[in-house]
Amino acid sequence: MLYRVIDRADLPSLVAAFMERYEVVAPVRRGSFYAFEAIGDFSEIALDYPTTIASPKKYFLPATETLFEFDARENAVTDYVDEVRPRVLFGVHACDINGIMNLNSVFNDPRYPDPYYRAHQDATLIVGVSCTPGDTCFCHLMDSEEARPGYDLFLNAIGEAFLVSIGSVTAANILEGACDVREATDADRAAFRAATRARQEAFNGAIPDVQEIPMLMDAFHEDGFWDELGGRCLSCNACASVCPTCYCFDIRDTLDPGAETGRRERVWDACTSPQFAMVAGGHNFRSTAAERVRHRMYHKLNGFLATHDRSLCVGCGRCAAACKVGISPIEVLKFFERKGADDGE
Amino acid sequence: MSENTATVGEARAPRVVLVGLASCFGCQINITNIERHLLAVLGQIELGYWQLTSSEPMPEAFDVAVIEGAVTTEEAAETVRALRERAACVIAIGSCAATGGIPAMAAGDLASHVEAVYGDGLPKACGVLRAPAPVSAVIDVDFTVSCCPIDPFEFVRVLDAALYGSNRLDVTATLCGQCAQGEGGCLYKRGQMCLGLVTRAGCGAKCPGLGRACNGCAGLSPDANVTAARAFAASRGFAPGRFDEALEMFNAVALAPAGEE
Ligand code: SF4
Ligand code: SF4
Ligand code: SF4
Ligand code: SF4
Ligand code: SF4
Repeated sequence: MLYRVIDRADLPSLVAAFMERYEVVAPVRRGSFYAFEAIGDFSEIALDYPTTIASPKKYFLPATETLFEFDARENAVTDYVDEVRPRVLFGVHACDINGIMNLNSVFNDPRYPDPYYRAHQDATLIVGVSCTPGDTCFCHLMDSEEARPGYDLFLNAIGEAFLVSIGSVTAANILEGACDVREATDADRAAFRAATRARQEAFNGAIPDVQEIPMLMDAFHEDGFWDELGGRCLSCNACASVCPTCYCFDIRDTLDPGAETGRRERVWDACTSPQFAMVAGGHNFRSTAAERVRHRMYHKLNGFLATHDRSLCVGCGRCAAACKVGISPIEVLKFFERKGADDGE
Repeated sequence: MSENTATVGEARAPRVVLVGLASCFGCQINITNIERHLLAVLGQIELGYWQLTSSEPMPEAFDVAVIEGAVTTEEAAETVRALRERAACVIAIGSCAATGGIPAMAAGDLASHVEAVYGDGLPKACGVLRAPAPVSAVIDVDFTVSCCPIDPFEFVRVLDAALYGSNRLDVTATLCGQCAQGEGGCLYKRGQMCLGLVTRAGCGAKCPGLGRACNGCAGLSPDANVTAARAFAASRGFAPGRFDEALEMFNAVALAPAGEE
């Protein structure tokens, strides 16, 4: 990995350089919350944002995306070009970069590669930024506190400067052209280590570090805990809407007024939705909220791991903030900790 | 759904009638708000009856009956039964038709409401009153366009589904998921009570998107967890009584017989 150092004062010119060729998307303040949005000027960016309501997933997998258009009279597909905008996601935290890596491994699976996702991925540069964990952050427990691959640049704050990890030639060239770039010194590296340590210590200690989560998920599959969670689930899908790694979708056709032409669209779907596991003939494989919530947690903490060798949940904590009734992987970790304590007695 | 699809491949355009019961007629008017698309939509059908646009009487035969408004009289109940007998497909539009809507706020205690308005002299023109109810309480309904008023493009989509079939599944998830997609932040965090917790998704969380609480016009989801929602609202300082009272505006009927109390 190549490292360079830039001053904080260099950031506006870096962003301006990106803007010449890309749409720049960054965290901006919305009332008391934050969201990723396309920006027009560096001053709109809230780079020290705690987290955003929803994740940057929407730039890879839009909530609604047209897959093609058709002529209903001819029953034929018509020419259609998906809008893919060259884009820089500026100021992405490590958890979200890991989340995007998880999405990449799903949508780039060689058995069924997804050209729409891939087009967005190929057109997007990612500039990460270091963060200070908030109350609901637990990326460190999900092996996602650090972005190893997955970014073009990563800005590690060290005081009034940034130690920049460089991940791509394209981004390196833009960085070199826009900023007064210098080599990292021993002092910079020491500052980086100190910042990393301070960040590690800032994680919320009340979220338990549980070992062998997949094994525990299997062991407590039939526990009444899931009925408790299901009993209060509102079946709203807010968890999946905000999650950086939920990738389920539905596909449907929409006719234009007059019904002569139409579009085939994919729209986000979620396993917490009551109809998610309903099949032809009407049988619903997960007809209760308890089964649905359990399924969600299984996929997040166990199922994905079996195929992709890492947990799907990256510990961003967004669902914990979005869920009105306190259902999140954090509750599952706490449940396992309680069970462990009970067994120890 | 396919057995209720009105016409497929028939030479004749499907005959549609549009009937208004107890309602403000706002949903019917809102259909015209598709403006430049109106002719394209009407071009697909033979509009047999629409009081709002013509005084032609109801034809004998038709394929699709679109019903706006709640059933509030025995005469209206007869009307919808007759529509059901003749139509291959019935579409209920708007909150009044779908949930009983605003008229159904009187359902719990009709007599006292009648007295408050008419004293003891109920005019003959009112007909034989009955507790206001959604159309589906009287006849089977094939398709529903919810909300007060309807989104006219949603009406067009549902009409198309009735005419040509659709691969879109009706979902019963509640609203907060769509609201979260808008990333405006939950109104409860701004001290407002919002019924999105139990309201069926579909409108795209229009009202919270504009900074106004959802008042449940899309109807209580059949999978709503009212108990958990009340508890959440209470934890934010809104007593369950207030939550229930707000819900009654569009969901009095759904709340009553489901035994939520
Ligand atoms: S499950 Fe929750 S904590 Fe985990 S990645 Fe998704 S939103 Fe973040
Ligand atoms: S948790 Fe549910 S909605 Fe999210 S990716 Fe897994 S199955 Fe899909
Ligand atoms: S777990 Fe929470 S956020 Fe997810 S569907 Fe249930 S109530 Fe909604
Ligand atoms: S504002 Fe209303 S719809 Fe939106 S998240 Fe809050 S309760 Fe749900
Ligand atoms: S947000 Fe609620 S009140 Fe507003 S249109 Fe949607 S369902 Fe109706």
